[in-house]
Formats: sequence, C-alpha cells, structure tokens
Amino acid sequence: MNYRKAISTILLLLLSTIGQAETIEVTVNGLVCGFCAQGIEKRLRRFPATVDVLVSLEQRLVAVSLNADTDISDANLTEALEGAGYAVKAIRRTETPIAVLREQVKAGRR
Amino acid sequence: MPRYSHCAGVGVALLGALLSPASMAKPIAFAGGTTAMVEYGAGTMEEAQVFFAPTHRYSVGAGYLKLDSDVDGSERNIAYARANLLAKRWNLEAAQANVFAWGGAGGASGSDFSGGAFTGNAGAQADYETRRVYASLKTDLYDSSEFTHRIDTLQLGIAPYAHEYEELAVWLLVQGRTYTGNLYRGTEWAALLRVFKGSVWIEAGVTEDGNLQSMVMVNF
Repeated sequence: MNYRKAISTILLLLLSTIGQAETIEVTVNGLVCGFCAQGIEKRLRRFPATVDVLVSLEQRLVAVSLNADTDISDANLTEALEGAGYAVKAIRRTETPIAVLREQVKAGRR
Repeated sequence: MPRYSHCAGVGVALLGALLSPASMAKPIAFAGGTTAMVEYGAGTMEEAQVFFAPTHRYSVGAGYLKLDSDVDGSERNIAYARANLLAKRWNLEAAQANVFAWGGAGGASGSDFSGGAFTGNAGAQADYETRRVYASLKTDLYDSSEFTHRIDTLQLGIAPYAHEYEELAVWLLVQGRTYTGNLYRGTEWAALLRVFKGSVWIEAGVTEDGNLQSMVMVNF
C-alpha cells in the first residue's frame, strides 16, 4: 500500500508540472519606440514571479520568464502592459526558455 | 490678470511638484515613470522640465522656460506647474499615434516689465510614429497680462534603420518652429540628429542661422 501511495504521489507531482508555463509570450500593438517601451520592462520586473523580460519591437513581442511554481495572471499582465501605454493582442503560455526566444529574435527566426 | 512676485510664481510651480514637457517626443511616459528633460533652443528658448505619470493617461510636474527675443532683445523667465493628458492613443500593429493636451499656470518675469505676472499655459500635440517614420506637431501657449507667446513646433523624421528594443536608435529630423509675440521672425528651421538607447534620449543639431539646438531626456 505504501509503495502504491508513493508512486501516486510522484505521478501527481509530475502531472502538476505538466502544462505549467515557464514563459509568457504577449503580442503587443504600438511597440515602435525602444525609449518609450522602457516602461514595459520596468513594470514587469516589479512582479515577484518575474525572472527575465524580453521586448522585441520587430516581433511585437513581450516575453516574461517566471520563477518555478509562480505565475502572473493574464489580468495582471494586461494591466501592466496597458499601464505602460500599449495594447495587448494575445497572451500565450509556453515552455520555451526566454534565452531561446532572445536568440530567435536576434536571428530574425520568429 | 493678478500679479505677484517672481518668487511666488516659482513657488507655485514647485508646489505643483511635477510636470510634463512641451518639447518632448511624448509628454507622458508610463505609469509610475518620471521624466526629466532639458532643452537648449538655438538661443531663443531654454527649458527644463520634470514630470511624473501616475498612470499612462496623465502626468503632472513643473518646468522653467527662458525666452530671449531675437527681435528686440527682451527676455522672459517663466516657471510653471502643468498637467498633461493623453487625450487619445492609437496602438497599431506597426505604428503608434497620440493626441496630448496640457494646461498649467505659473509666474513670469521679464526684462521689459517690472514685478511678476501670472502666466497661464495651454498646449496640444499630435504625433505619429513607426520604427522608420516620425511626425509631430505641437503648439504651446503662454499668456499673461504682459505678454502672449505661442511656440509651434513641427518635427519630421526618418530612421536609417528600424531599431530593436536594446539597440541604439538613430533618427534624422527636420524641425520647424515659429514664435509669436516678437520673439523670432519667420520660421526657425533646424536639422537634428536624435539618438536614444535604454532610458536616455539625446537630440542635437543646428538651425539655419548656425545656432545649436539640443535636448536631453531621461526616463526613470
């Protein structure tokens, strides 16, 4: 019985991590000026969950990587970006590391 | 119009505590952001401003404007408090357009009148920007019992390349500026180079008269 319980617990722990977002990717309208977009990074870095922030004017992309087992709700994310003066068009939760996104943006592969 | 001392005018402006810039690309930064700006306008105007934006919709702050007439040598020193409003913003896929309006009050002294003069301020700006094209039109009015000056500024710019967020942005601009109230005859044209990276914005160039036109702005 104890053996079964241990396996169940492990399975539950594994299942609980499936689908958990590591990175939030946001499509944003109005991203044309790097100076003006400073507010995006400043506001997003205030969230305790935030590890790193990527902004790409070319890709209309704002990406936030999160600490493990933490999250920023869509509502809070939208409020932060709108507070910076921009329009949120789409929010996606992915497991693509932000370092990979950064390389893709640099290489123009997105 | 009521009058009071120049010191009182400065006090009113400082009590206003925080302000917005008429000369900036945008008079409101972002919610919780503070912007400081200084401009040297070809010997005709010098301005310093600081403003704080509680939300991206408005900002409040204070500024100081010095005007030197090219026509009769008269001088104005205006200290003011001001509030700026983002009246309308269009966030498009590859562009942003804005309409701003502002109003304020302060005090002024001048070389051709004694004491201080209560001064009202009102203005508006419309701008359109992509990563390669920039256009803005701004009007800024200062009115008192002793003078009325309106400064209208047109800026048209192109970027040689579309900058990314963490890259240096480079812009080439033409600026046309007119002054009313005997400050300058005709339109003062200037060619400008604008660069910015991170939170620092620098603009410098020369007018057709060979005078320096420059501006530095910092967001924090």
